[in-house]
Amino acid sequence: MSFEVPEDLYYLASHEWIDPETGRVGISEFAQDELGDVVFVELPNEGEDLTQEEEFGVVESIKAVSDLYSPASGTVTAVNEALFDRPELVNDDPFGEGWMLELDVADDLDGVLSAAEYREQIE
Amino acid sequence: MMTRHSRGSPFAPHTDGETAAMLEAVGAESIEDLFDIPEPIRFDGEFGIEPRSEREIRTEMRALLGRNDDLTEFLGRGHYDHYVPSLVDHLADRSEFLTSYTQYQPEITQGFLQVLFEYQSMLVELTGLEVANCSMYDAATALGEAATLADRVRETSGSTVLVPELLREERRSVLENYTEGAGLTVETYPYEDANADREALADLASEGTVMIYAESPTVRGTVEEGLGAIADIAHDEDALFVLGSDPVALSVLEEPANVGADVVIGDAATLGLGTSYGMGLGLFATREGFVRQVPGRLVGASTDSAGERAYTLTLQTREQHIRRERATSNICTNQAWVALRTAIHAASLGPSGLVDLASDCLEAPAELADRLDDIVGVQAPVHDRHHFREFVARTDQPAEAVRETLEEYGFAVHAIDDHLVQVCVTETNRKKADALVTAFREAAK
Repeated sequence: MSFEVPEDLYYLASHEWIDPETGRVGISEFAQDELGDVVFVELPNEGEDLTQEEEFGVVESIKAVSDLYSPASGTVTAVNEALFDRPELVNDDPFGEGWMLELDVADDLDGVLSAAEYREQIE
Repeated sequence: MMTRHSRGSPFAPHTDGETAAMLEAVGAESIEDLFDIPEPIRFDGEFGIEPRSEREIRTEMRALLGRNDDLTEFLGRGHYDHYVPSLVDHLADRSEFLTSYTQYQPEITQGFLQVLFEYQSMLVELTGLEVANCSMYDAATALGEAATLADRVRETSGSTVLVPELLREERRSVLENYTEGAGLTVETYPYEDANADREALADLASEGTVMIYAESPTVRGTVEEGLGAIADIAHDEDALFVLGSDPVALSVLEEPANVGADVVIGDAATLGLGTSYGMGLGLFATREGFVRQVPGRLVGASTDSAGERAYTLTLQTREQHIRRERATSNICTNQAWVALRTAIHAASLGPSGLVDLASDCLEAPAELADRLDDIVGVQAPVHDRHHFREFVARTDQPAEAVRETLEEYGFAVHAIDDHLVQVCVTETNRKKADALVTAFREAAK
């Protein structure tokens, strides 16, 4: 099956996405499918500073645990608290309601994959 | 290794011919060639084990066991004798339960998972806490795991674990194994008349404290009267309050959740195992808020695709086989069969049977201590407290001499200090108390 890879986002090889406009971060549709039913998401606190590729949390499915890596350096300005009660949003809408956090991105994004590059990696 | 009998044996039924055929099929020259154990790690020596038949072994073991002293035990200090109904053996020995197969596959082992769920449910009921795992190795392990849990859930940094000055050696030792690796230190707080010295404890507790541990009953058999106050001292410092107890005591003591316990640990094998085999069963229960930090295995109830109630291991992502180095614990096993025995024993007693048993454990030591106290040269109990199962008596004669004389009369007690002996009495030896008192009169002279 082919997975959605929105053109306007950037990606990490470890399957996180970041929206350069809003600083929103989540995991890709491909990643949620690999994990299966997500049952728990562990996220950082607002105000934490992250550097690119740093672990910022954990996503758990019934039989797997995956670390989450930050696609960019910046300060966490928002955390999607809806995921604490409804972690399944990550499966249902990974690029929308399943977002995880917002970063106040310090610099221009580099060291990330374009949609085309990421698509090549997962196909 | 394979038997060398050309016609096989009941335990390794392959004949030489079959063995040769199998080796040929896989293309190995010999059994040694098949297993290919590298030379440097091969055992090169004699085991020094004489082969014997089953019948010879039985005769020999019987003779060996016959050399045991036939003493009536009034021994406690961590191992307690409660009568285990034969029902427990009969059910636990059924082949569906007594198997070396790891009973966790929900597709095939609903019965065992249900038993473990029942075991957990009983502990939840006895502790008032929302979550119990389906066992750890023993109380010492559970205590160590409680310390690392406290360290994980505490918001601020800190590194001290406070434990009572009187603590069973194996608990202290295992706790130190755990804390050493986790960068924690163990400190003791004093007892006053075999209960926590709460003033001293309050002085010792600080923002560096991650956990305070208390026991009820204590090592000396006393019921701890200040649990609520100890919990407050812990919570004032944002530390966890961990209580050590056991299922029998919990049947009559105040519910741990009510006195502010965050974790309850202990030995659950006071039910189901008796004093034999020298093993325990680690009880571990905690609050729902810590469910993702619980060590060990958890059985949960759900519904299957047909809408029937079904059991399965749950929240396994806490565990080492999934989360590897970031797991809550190095343990991803439990003592399923022992927990099964405990659950069957508890279920056969039922709530009222448990309370009756626990009431015996309160009455019997009080009664016996009173009678020993009437003997010239004996003061009992030493501690002015309520006692559970056991108490300490002071003897004018050296305790060791008293212990030896009692042994000559056929009784075993602990000598714990120059003039202190510890006596444990439950429903199993209560009827022998008269004879013990008589022997004590002689021993105390």
